[in-house]
Amino acid sequence: MSEGTLQHLESDVAVAARGELGHALEPAPGLLPGEVHPHPSPFKYVVIAVVLCVVTAIEIGTSYLEGDIPNGLLIFLLLAMALFKFVGVAGWYMHLQTDKPIFRRFFILGCIAAVILYTIVLATLSVFAA
Amino acid sequence: MATIEQTPKPVNEQTAEVGGPPPQGTPGHDPHATSTGVTNTKLAMWLFLSSDCLFFGAFIASYLLYRGRDVSGPGPRELFDIPFTSATSFILLMSSLTMVLALAAIQRGDHRRVRIWILATALLGATFIAGQIFEFTEFSREGLNVSTNLFGSSFYILTGFHGAHVTIGIIWLLSLWGMSNRGRLPTGKAESVEIAGLYWHFVDVVWIVIFTVIYLVPQPH
Repeated sequence: MSEGTLQHLESDVAVAARGELGHALEPAPGLLPGEVHPHPSPFKYVVIAVVLCVVTAIEIGTSYLEGDIPNGLLIFLLLAMALFKFVGVAGWYMHLQTDKPIFRRFFILGCIAAVILYTIVLATLSVFAA
Repeated sequence: MATIEQTPKPVNEQTAEVGGPPPQGTPGHDPHATSTGVTNTKLAMWLFLSSDCLFFGAFIASYLLYRGRDVSGPGPRELFDIPFTSATSFILLMSSLTMVLALAAIQRGDHRRVRIWILATALLGATFIAGQIFEFTEFSREGLNVSTNLFGSSFYILTGFHGAHVTIGIIWLLSLWGMSNRGRLPTGKAESVEIAGLYWHFVDVVWIVIFTVIYLVPQPH
């Protein structure tokens, strides 16, 4: 392969990479029905995925601290990290952050209703008793 | 000759007459217009997901109720393989990323990437299900079945229903992939991908809760 061909190839790859990166860094054009703000760019989605993976790794590592830290603290940390991941996926991947508030209200209503209802049920059945 | 007095038309009709699109959510001028300003299908999916929170909440609550109350049979301490389940959890998390990239691709009109990302999501989901089946067979080999003890019944029902949700999601994604292959998923139908994505992300979110509450939270002695 000649020097000129290699240079052309490198130039084409660089242009293609810029094109790919351009797509990755820009939010999607137009708004879907129910959107208020544009969805995040693909690059942001990848960043969010990396953050979720890191938190998952920390969560798994924390679970191995059983016996080294009080159980109450351990459960609190695990649930807090799970909640962080829950909000991350629901807020960014499910677009609750960028869509109309009506969707957020319905979903949060369901989550809160589930938590309250089943907390009451479990308390009635003395699950939380010492 | 008497002239017919014309009443001034609303702005919305004027816009429609000159060929512009009717404003979103304008009743009577768009066959898909709604009073909420959002599409019925998307709203219906969110309502379904909201109800599914209660559905899974019931099974998670049942698991918590029965936790530590077994008198016989193997328990979670003997059976759970946290590294293996962590790997399957990671796979499901990555499938959420590929799903949302599929949505971004169809919004850009990049149909080749839509098919790639949707297929990737389905394959990652299938890998997760394969991991679940392997886990179930391992537990069964160790003597844990649905009727063995309280842990067995609550665990299998909860994770089994979650697995069924994932399987339905995989079938849905494969049908979208097939439609895209036949050119029946244009950019104008991006909402179809978005709604499938909402279902898929919900399934992932439920697994986030299940993984933490069932697998990671310390078991009572």
